[in-house]
Amino acid sequence: MAGSTIDHLVSVTVFLGAILVFISLFNQTLQTAILYQRHRNLATKCSDLLDNMLLNPGTPSYWGRSNVTPTGFGLQDPEFTQYRLSPFSLMRLNYTPGKPVFYPKTGKYYSNITMGFGKSLLVPFNEVINYSTAARLLGVNGTYGFSLTITPIVTVSITELQLNPLQLRVDVRGAGFPLIYANVSHCLITVKATGGQGAYPSYTVDYGSALTDSEGSVLLTFPSFDGEEESYVLIAYAHLSGLVGVGYHEHVQYTGSYVVPFVEDFDTRRVLIAHSWDVHGGDNPAEISYNATFVLLTEDFTLREMPLENSTGKVGKINYGVGKPYQNITIPTYNPGILVITYRKSAQESGVVLMPWGISSMAFPVTFGEDPFGKVWVATDIRQVIVNNIAYQAKLALWSFEGYQVIG
Amino acid sequence: MMRTIEVLLVIIIITGAFIIASFFAVLPMPRRVSPLNLRRLALTTLQTLDLDYHLSETAFKPTDDEAWDQIQVALSACLPPNIVYNLTVYEVQSGSGTELYIRMKSISNAESLGIQSDASSYLVASSNVTFRVIPEKIGEHGGGTLYILNCSDANGWWITGYTAQSLAEDLYKLLSPYFQATIMVQNTTQLGQILNGTKISDSPYENVTKAVIINTFGECVPIPTEYCQGYGRESEGYYPGVNYPYTRYCYTLGQRTRVYNWTWISIVGYPLYYVSNTVVFANENNTYGIYGMRKVYQGGINAFLQGLDNQPYQYSETRIAYSISQLVQLSSEASYYCNYYGLYPSPNQISSRALNDSIVNNYNLSIALYVFNQVGNLIPGAVYRHIFKGGTNVTGSLLALGLTRTPDIRLTALGLLSYYKPRLYRSEYTAAGTSRLVILQLGQTGGI
Repeated sequence: MAGSTIDHLVSVTVFLGAILVFISLFNQTLQTAILYQRHRNLATKCSDLLDNMLLNPGTPSYWGRSNVTPTGFGLQDPEFTQYRLSPFSLMRLNYTPGKPVFYPKTGKYYSNITMGFGKSLLVPFNEVINYSTAARLLGVNGTYGFSLTITPIVTVSITELQLNPLQLRVDVRGAGFPLIYANVSHCLITVKATGGQGAYPSYTVDYGSALTDSEGSVLLTFPSFDGEEESYVLIAYAHLSGLVGVGYHEHVQYTGSYVVPFVEDFDTRRVLIAHSWDVHGGDNPAEISYNATFVLLTEDFTLREMPLENSTGKVGKINYGVGKPYQNITIPTYNPGILVITYRKSAQESGVVLMPWGISSMAFPVTFGEDPFGKVWVATDIRQVIVNNIAYQAKLALWSFEGYQVIG
Repeated sequence: MMRTIEVLLVIIIITGAFIIASFFAVLPMPRRVSPLNLRRLALTTLQTLDLDYHLSETAFKPTDDEAWDQIQVALSACLPPNIVYNLTVYEVQSGSGTELYIRMKSISNAESLGIQSDASSYLVASSNVTFRVIPEKIGEHGGGTLYILNCSDANGWWITGYTAQSLAEDLYKLLSPYFQATIMVQNTTQLGQILNGTKISDSPYENVTKAVIINTFGECVPIPTEYCQGYGRESEGYYPGVNYPYTRYCYTLGQRTRVYNWTWISIVGYPLYYVSNTVVFANENNTYGIYGMRKVYQGGINAFLQGLDNQPYQYSETRIAYSISQLVQLSSEASYYCNYYGLYPSPNQISSRALNDSIVNNYNLSIALYVFNQVGNLIPGAVYRHIFKGGTNVTGSLLALGLTRTPDIRLTALGLLSYYKPRLYRSEYTAAGTSRLVILQLGQTGGI
């Protein structure tokens, strides 16, 4: 009897112990499989969501060119099919990494994409689409988080080798390889700060083209141009087999006071021209005169000037502080281009600032959404897209707000 | 002891089950769990390379042409460094040959594409080949004649910058492929013949019944001499004792539209606001200095609609067209057919002569097509069909585009084609030598 009881106790104990061990083992296998399925599902969702963003223009389809808040989110250019994105819809996305800029004279904060001195795009917060709105329109609010980055495939970087005579090196690189033997069409805009006190600056434009070498570089020399005396900006377009990239480099003689352009209204294409001291502060501010020009990129990669609609704002003077109003101009078209504003304080102190009209005209990047850093599992997918003939790569990072913690 | 042995046996069985389950439950490799969509990446890469048709051109070049090197450089540059590729171009064969595709050229940056790859295909067409598009003819089953008013003895109004003749010529180029017969009405005499139901050409396809008549004269309409005061059919064109006696002619036009089941098209502005005959009205002008025409004012369209609905003629100057303060937009249907027919007028227009929708009930009309979206009770552009109450047969139609000057005749063509919807038969893209198939296969390197 006692032996039977002991046998019973031992067997039950061993059995329970074994069951616990096996439950643990099976549980681990099952949980790992479920986790894999969830990750797989997230990857599929990521691909679908990216296509959803890139293959529909949103509602209304021309929301990028107006002030309306879309009722459907999409970035496709309504005038095209496939993966062609609207340069204006991208302009209306809140640029996540940029530090917002406050302009006291309008009382507004502005979304800020700045790529260095004099190369910025500032769009008022009340006209940009923020992340929560986009997530709600995409139907992922509260279930998924995402970060959309749209970056140019071709990077055109310009390095100043010497100023007199001006010599620049242009390096053209793709995402994974230099763009060798690519055509580089360039445009040198030179600021002419001639005239007496208070005169408006003018500019000259020189075009040229060259071919990159086997390392994707090309040297550009401007024998008759002295960069130590004059301000200039070089805009270079590199193109090879459908890949087009843009780069720019500027050298200004005076940065004490300069103009800051703000996009004010998409419907009316109004751009404000502000004094830098009112926006960024600084020492020794001064009244400056400016001359605004809008240029379009043509099919042969030259720039063509388009007359500004508001001729009164085309040239002007701008001062800082209370009681000194900003100026405004109207961009004449919804075709992407570059607003070039030359400014001067005196014949020796001049400069130039650029603002893209349409994100692609200066190959500005777009980063929209939350920061994926620190998220447990992030699925990514990429597409090659075209934004007004400039090649970009769109990358979506997606993560789920459901828990992924696994026990065991 | 027996129970312990039984438990040990159970443990052995469960262990076996676990091993077997683990053997069959093979978990995928991490790379397959969250993969890049290589197929989409390949497709979008091909589309990028063909942005300026460089890929299409290169696909037809000799295999040793330097353009292939450019393609390879571009491919390497635009793909991430961990992506390997193989791009292969195939000649598309036709007929009953054994091979449908023949490999022409292949470029790659790796010997193998790893354990996982995906591909996309892209069909490119040779620039040396013209692909024919054959439109279905409107009226293959009756009707099918397009009359374009090109009268040399009439003047137009609100077609600023154009002449009726230049518009007629452009419309002929745009629309003649879609009709069995397209006939230019060269003078008001020929217009008079049509109004009598008489053919004006030798074309066997000319058919006055169910014809389409485009009035290229804008707000003005040519009037044959015989319908003018003092001529044979004065009673059908002139109604004395009122401010604008030639409204009676518009009534006749409405009647003929109903009798012959025409589709009458007004390309711009207030329909039928003036009548023109440069011979009869040589010394009269439209009050704006354009000689050869007489005003019929707002009563013209009223009279036309009365005639279309077979109502007794009643002189009325009541205004039925108004200005819309906002831009009007192409309807979704018209926008769709922009792509189908390759006509791309601006989708936003200014409408200063939009017809009031009360005409639909007043004259037994139904709207067969909105060219522009209705704004309130105003219709900027639409095709109106006349069907008698209780009937089913269409007895005349009106396409009225109440836009401001100057006219964009592509809108007229778009409205007409969107209404009749003739199909386009495109030639085959698989004809020998005309197409090549480009396949881009991508694989991922690194990782497991």
